[in-house]
Amino acid sequence: MVSAPHLRVLLSDDHPIVRRGVRNILESTPEYEICGEAGDGDQTLQLAFRLHPDVIITDISMRPMNGLEVTQRLHTALPDAKVLILTMHDSVEMLRAAAAAGASGYLLKSDAEELLVSALHSLGEGHRFVSPSFDAKLVNQLFD
Amino acid sequence: MSNLKILIADDHDLVRKGLRMLIEEHPGWTVCAEARSGREAVEQATQTSPDIVVIDVSMPDLNGLEATRLLRKQCPKAEVLVITHHDSDEMAAEVLSAGARGYILKSDSDQELAHAVDALSRHRPYFTARVTEMFLANRARGTANQAESIRKRLTAREVEILQLLAEGKTAKEVAAALGIATKTSDTHRTNIMRKLDLHSIAELVRYAIRNKIVEP
Repeated sequence: MVSAPHLRVLLSDDHPIVRRGVRNILESTPEYEICGEAGDGDQTLQLAFRLHPDVIITDISMRPMNGLEVTQRLHTALPDAKVLILTMHDSVEMLRAAAAAGASGYLLKSDAEELLVSALHSLGEGHRFVSPSFDAKLVNQLFD
Repeated sequence: MSNLKILIADDHDLVRKGLRMLIEEHPGWTVCAEARSGREAVEQATQTSPDIVVIDVSMPDLNGLEATRLLRKQCPKAEVLVITHHDSDEMAAEVLSAGARGYILKSDSDQELAHAVDALSRHRPYFTARVTEMFLANRARGTANQAESIRKRLTAREVEILQLLAEGKTAKEVAAALGIATKTSDTHRTNIMRKLDLHSIAELVRYAIRNKIVEP
């Protein structure tokens, strides 16, 4: 059996308690290592340029610089890094904006406990991942 | 160190997970129950008698402020620590008038939460420096009581019903949720709308959002 690839993850959310929650979920999966944590968009970019993570998990609502803007800049500057948006916004408009900014995944915070590991796995394999409550057809349109 | 029982109430799984992790890192601190709504928090608190309730403000069914008021009445021994992402003067004043003795923001550091729990376990109030400054500035302007205006106009029960109606429940569903007669819940609705001078459910929803009784 081939072991899953080791992924370095940068975690970005303005709420330390939420970052703890994500850390807690990933603790039991040694293939995903959190290489850094950021509390706002500026810090996320700085750390991403320094640490070159494989995946950046980011919230949208952050100041200064929200997660979508961060995604757009990362997409241009570090095209190999995948961005997973982790948000409470259960909104098609936000999903559309995330896809347009170049995110590879969109996971609702309410799905995180169950699906975060699957989402990271998909991104690691070069696929996209979107919370299953969104219409699959729409997801295909937005992300292709 | 004596054992400290803590109840966590937040409707977001991730936040509850993070809180649990933070709390369990401290020897002697245990999470005695978790709740996803204000109503569940009150129920769980009466069953498990926590020393401290860590509670979010924006929650479905019964928000954290109204739950805090009920907790102070039904479990007076439990200290309430409110955590919120609402960073405003009005919120700080509301939290205090609801009877919470601690108030921190979700953007505050991990250590801040630990300090707050520690202070409350000794029955000392805890507010972050920023919140304290905000509150003092408020007092200086003499506007600290502004947040109590809704409370003066509506009874606690009416605020509870206002939230359920604003969340889209019908009078019948409200009645079922609270275990009261539909006619009683109808009367409450009429009274709320009369007292607040509202003429439609749409207006009621707008009112509830503006006054942070529900999330937009």
